Amino acid sequence: MDVELLFAAASQILNPWPFFLLFIGTSLGILVGAIPGMTGAMLIALTLPLTFYMDPFNAIVLLVAMYVGAISGGLITATLLRMPGTPAAVMTTFDGYPMARSGKPGRALGLGITASFIGGLIAWITLATITKPLSIFATKFGPFEYFTLIMMAMVLIASVSEGSLAKGLISGLLGMLISMPGVDPATGMPRLTFDWYMLNGGLKLLPVLIGVFAVSQIIKDALDIGQVPERIAMSSKGMLMSAKDFMAQGVNLIRSSLIGTWVGILPGIGASIGSVIAYTAAKNMSKTPEKFGTGSEEGIVASEAANNATVGGALIPLIAMGIPGSVIDAILIGALMIHSIQPGPTLFLTNADIVWGMIAACLLANVLMWLLMTSSVKYIAGLMYLPRSFVLPIVMVFCVIGSFALNNTMFDVWVMLIFGVMGFLMECAKIPLGPFVIGFVLAPLAEEKLRSGLMMTAGDFSPIFTRPLPLFFTILAVILLLWPIIGDWMRKRRASRK
Amino acid sequence: MNLLQRFEVWVSLLVILICLVFLWESWDLPPGSFEPLGSGPVPQATAFIVILCAGLVIFNALRKPVQLSGDEEIKERPSISAGLIISLATVIYSLMLHFRLMPFAWMTTLFLIITIWSLEKFEKKKFLPALITAIVIGFASEYLFTEVFIVDLPT
Repeated sequence: MDVELLFAAASQILNPWPFFLLFIGTSLGILVGAIPGMTGAMLIALTLPLTFYMDPFNAIVLLVAMYVGAISGGLITATLLRMPGTPAAVMTTFDGYPMARSGKPGRALGLGITASFIGGLIAWITLATITKPLSIFATKFGPFEYFTLIMMAMVLIASVSEGSLAKGLISGLLGMLISMPGVDPATGMPRLTFDWYMLNGGLKLLPVLIGVFAVSQIIKDALDIGQVPERIAMSSKGMLMSAKDFMAQGVNLIRSSLIGTWVGILPGIGASIGSVIAYTAAKNMSKTPEKFGTGSEEGIVASEAANNATVGGALIPLIAMGIPGSVIDAILIGALMIHSIQPGPTLFLTNADIVWGMIAACLLANVLMWLLMTSSVKYIAGLMYLPRSFVLPIVMVFCVIGSFALNNTMFDVWVMLIFGVMGFLMECAKIPLGPFVIGFVLAPLAEEKLRSGLMMTAGDFSPIFTRPLPLFFTILAVILLLWPIIGDWMRKRRASRK
Repeated sequence: MNLLQRFEVWVSLLVILICLVFLWESWDLPPGSFEPLGSGPVPQATAFIVILCAGLVIFNALRKPVQLSGDEEIKERPSISAGLIISLATVIYSLMLHFRLMPFAWMTTLFLIITIWSLEKFEKKKFLPALITAIVIGFASEYLFTEVFIVDLPT
């Protein structure tokens, strides 16, 4: 770890303007996380156009702070409304809400907030220590290594997404296909433009992102506009964890944070999966598993420590290899590209200040998140009851402005609306949206690597099967593809034995 | 078939249609001259796999007709009018922006008043809050984006 560079980045963030952005980013993230239906991905996609005119360092600080804040803010609604503010907080509802209903909302929120902080801290230590060695290792990757890694990541994302593997693959590969119109990366000639000049530059990431994540969510939320949440009286009693609590929850905290970090590192798997695995592990290892689902402290701690740990974990493949660890990381890759920064293993060499800024912002946003949430959760909780009939049209206006601002053209607004409807229809069919965006971001890189690899070998595909890393990634991808069939066969065999 | 299965079938058919359009368009792409693969095979292979997966989803949806219980049926009754209001209002708002029929602030104010008030089912007591919100957001957003973020809004 380059301690000097890390300190330099941290002290740069502590200057008034970057610190203001860190504060605004974390606060907005928490607020958006606390409003049901609004997600971190939506906030960050809508904020991207505002960062066009910012210094890249400040832009990244703002976006990372929003990321940390949004993942944490989801626990407020999960605890007080049994409605996860962000998908990552879904496991928190199982124990946070029963504890809050039993008259201890402050205790439930306090456990969640501190667990989020510790989870974020443990993941940050991993982020700060292993990212650089991993990026040095990744510089040895050739085109086939990269191509097979991306393909393995796509299969992994599809296999753990909500719904079936086939639906995950549809989403990811459709995202890849949609990114292909425009200038061919190898020949420089236009392709798949349907003889329409507006498509010569391809479809831009921002309108697609805003459409898929924000517009589709607005339509979905409008359909649920009649739902009135049940109110729970809020009190801050028991908000801070005592030394006794730390002793009781220490092992659970560390285990859940490590699980969250590891899940975050795996390409494309978000915080939701991390919290599910950590929650299940905590339940299996608990002395009182029967309390899970009825207001268990261990359940809240496991879920929240893990989902916040995935933030730091997911930044590792992004920085080291240019592979997004989650959907929000895919948007962060888009943000880097908008600022003409190419993510990947050379990022430490070409833009060390940005990388260390990202790492330092992750730590400082975590600290700020803990301070803000501990001191003002009582007031933030009031936001949950904002009427959707007011919030949704206002957010739609920002979606239109955000898409328009990219090139000052209405074409991008229409692209956003089309992808909004498409995203909504995909959600209705339970086709996950995460793989779509990750596929859209990764497709140009995958195609470029495949074609440059084939140029080097004169069209020979055999290095995929003869080199160790490509072979490893390919075997892993095949296992993941066949896993539903193998799992089904094993279940049937077990059942027939019984 | 339940609602989810119907969506699975229709959305998969839409996806197949998109892929067929891409396949058709990629068919005439020239082969690579200085690199072995050329422009066409990657989109063609991608579209082909998506068609296979979409076919599998349709097959699964048609194979297992699931009967809904009463509870699930109730969950499937969303406020469709609200969804339609916000979607249609946004399309009209975008059309008005496209043809620059009015300054941005006025168009946004109009969009917000109509959408908020109709989502509130035209309740009289909600009109004033909707009006104030619409005026504040409409004019403040124009000022913020044109003066602070220097975005050339369609005015």
